[in-house]
Amino acid sequence: MKYLYDIWIIAKREFKILIANRIYGFCMILFPLLVLVFFTTILDEGVPEELPVGVVDLDGSSTSRGLIRRLDAFQGSRVVARYPSVAEARRAMQENEIYGFLYIPRGTADALLASRQPKVSYYYSMASVTSGSLVMKDLKTISTLGSAAVGQATMRARGFTPQQIQTFLQPVRIDLHQIANPWSNYNVYLSTVFVPGVMMLFMFLISAYSLGMELKFSRGKEWIAKADGNILVAILGKFIPQAVVFALLIAFYEYYIYGVLRFPHEGGWGMIVLLAVLQVLASIGFGIFAFGLLPSLRMSMSVCSLWAVLSFSLAGSAFPVMGMDSPIQALTWLFPLRHYYMLYQITVFNGYPLIDAWFHFAGLVAFTIMPWPVLRKIKNAMLTYVYIP
Amino acid sequence: MSIFRDFYKALLDACYIWREEMRQAFRDEGVLIFFIIVPLVYPLLYSWVYNNEVVREVPVVVVDQSHSQASRSFIRMCDASPDVRVSCYASDLDDAQSLVSRQVVKGIYLIPSDFAERLNRMEQATVSVYCDMSLILTYKAIYQTAMAVSQEMGTQMQKRLSGKYTAREEMITTRPLRVDEVPIFNPGGGYGSSILPVVLMLILQQTLVLGIGLAAGTARERNRYGDLVPVHPCYDGVGRIVGGKALCYIMIFAVMGAYLSVAVPRLFSFPQLAAPSDLLLMMTPYLLASVFFGMTVSCLVRYRENVMLLVVFISLPLLFMTGVSWPQSNIPGYWQGVSWLFPSTFGARAFVRLNSMGASLSDVLPELRYMWIQTACYFGVACLVYGHQLRITRRHMHERLDYLRKKRQVRSQLKQVSEGGHLHK
Repeated sequence: MKYLYDIWIIAKREFKILIANRIYGFCMILFPLLVLVFFTTILDEGVPEELPVGVVDLDGSSTSRGLIRRLDAFQGSRVVARYPSVAEARRAMQENEIYGFLYIPRGTADALLASRQPKVSYYYSMASVTSGSLVMKDLKTISTLGSAAVGQATMRARGFTPQQIQTFLQPVRIDLHQIANPWSNYNVYLSTVFVPGVMMLFMFLISAYSLGMELKFSRGKEWIAKADGNILVAILGKFIPQAVVFALLIAFYEYYIYGVLRFPHEGGWGMIVLLAVLQVLASIGFGIFAFGLLPSLRMSMSVCSLWAVLSFSLAGSAFPVMGMDSPIQALTWLFPLRHYYMLYQITVFNGYPLIDAWFHFAGLVAFTIMPWPVLRKIKNAMLTYVYIP
Repeated sequence: MSIFRDFYKALLDACYIWREEMRQAFRDEGVLIFFIIVPLVYPLLYSWVYNNEVVREVPVVVVDQSHSQASRSFIRMCDASPDVRVSCYASDLDDAQSLVSRQVVKGIYLIPSDFAERLNRMEQATVSVYCDMSLILTYKAIYQTAMAVSQEMGTQMQKRLSGKYTAREEMITTRPLRVDEVPIFNPGGGYGSSILPVVLMLILQQTLVLGIGLAAGTARERNRYGDLVPVHPCYDGVGRIVGGKALCYIMIFAVMGAYLSVAVPRLFSFPQLAAPSDLLLMMTPYLLASVFFGMTVSCLVRYRENVMLLVVFISLPLLFMTGVSWPQSNIPGYWQGVSWLFPSTFGARAFVRLNSMGASLSDVLPELRYMWIQTACYFGVACLVYGHQLRITRRHMHERLDYLRKKRQVRSQLKQVSEGGHLHK
């Protein structure tokens, strides 16, 4: 009972600190919400549409104009300019006006009609992988269609039925099922990792920061005294208010993306809540551990920020972990965001059973209890260390 | 002559401030981490992470219900492709799904039982592809391989059906129009080569801002009144303070900038098409803009650690606003407006186009112009905020001086009074 009372006293003290120092309000509410708004608005389109592309049409025939019209009609591309030569189109790419262009050489229509197999080319830039592969997809489709149109015309003239024509042109059809994200929506795919990642970054930093500030303003002794020298009580009292604020923040985020934006969540709300709780506990655990390891405000915060920034890459959501070198693959285990992402995509996004993600579940639990071995060191630091600017 | 003497004095003062700043940068371990260690180590780490550039041999599971020569040839061709590896066979879709769930494979190819039958009956046959959509790159590998193989099989069917005599005729029937796809920049389509130039530029700006902010925070905390500008005869004038400090940061980051923009791409053989002189002309305004941006931000910081809370989290939004992860043409206008505040937006764009796309300086002229405008603006703002800080310092100094004078006055008055008392006695 006494422990509970001590925790309550320290929690009240912590709430006062959180309100008094404005930086907490900024980092625990305002900045994470700003990032949430940033990612969900910038990726609102889902799939980039109407990417600017160009054409170099030296043929000028009705066939080439038809190709260009069809390219323009695609959702993904918009023909913004025609260039008189390949050199000028390339220059336009280097000036960032277009992402790719279709080159139709002189005499294409003639050669096509005379069965001399003409060649058209499309040039695109992979300097940005996203826009490059999208433009490539459209340009590729249009050229395949161009080829098919010729075959279609010939066969129709010979009196084949539409079904026969289709079978001949495409004997094997691919029936694609994009599980859980049938729109291949980039918002679903990026916002669900980067926004929680930024929230974890703030949880790391704020945990280390709030411990360090006790040292900096020499309130550490008073804090430990309030817990009657019991460091576990002191830590619990201090971090329960923070965990509650962060949990509310995450609850709002979950409500916004699943409730308002209707992101897919096959796993249901039970898993979403479990994941949110684990996310908060593991991140705070990591922050406390970092401070316990290096009980100095600036060192622990540097470690936390460097770790958090790296975790965006090592979570393996953009570039898969299986494509990385094996030492790096092993390193990803040390990043809470990696376990969060895996747990999210297995249990919430795809709705598979939790047992298939047990390793990552255990990983997040391990981060939660990670401060255990350094608790004594934190107490020692609070009682004896002096802050040096 | 006095103008020259004043100028010489200002120069000496700026040099003194430069020396103080240099000394502090190398003595303060927090600053040292962000000025030296992070710019040196992070690029290597990131380069290592994205070293393999592309994902090859994505594991898939095959559910072959057709058990025919045609289905086996489909599977063999998929397995032979560079991007996909057939790692398992499953007897039905549920089995296959449980393999996806356990992260053994990333996708499923389902070949229905009537696959060969339909092909031989000259009806359209279907192969179902199920993709785990949690990773776009593996989804693309699985889907595009299936597409390519189905087209190749289709071509073979067409050749058999068309009944032409020569190979040339067959080629023309199946592909009346030849298509050449040319990825002209970053032809390997590597993820690392695409994103790392931007990351390198961001590291430069972010470490500069963090380092300058930490240095400013330390300066404040060392000061008795929490002022940014110390009381010292050399710190007398905005120009020499901003100039002296900027000189120190520019000297450190001229080295780091060269390392990030020239050495790292060479070490990891990322695209490096820019001419050295072009790179120099582009990096100079970027470095200057970043330094003055950092100095402006550093005046906002009350405690030294707060700068980390302010600066670290914007790295990721900044990466998106450069237009490498999400096409620049599709970024909403208001975020484009916000992105103009940060030097990294233009620095990264100019660097990518010069170095990865072989553009000339005239192609990146708008970006260069914006960076020079930013340099001028942030220099002006840095002068303004440092002027404000200087005024605060002077006010504190005068208050202290007044206090000391009054103290002395009161003391002497007290002395007089007590001496007077003695006399009266």
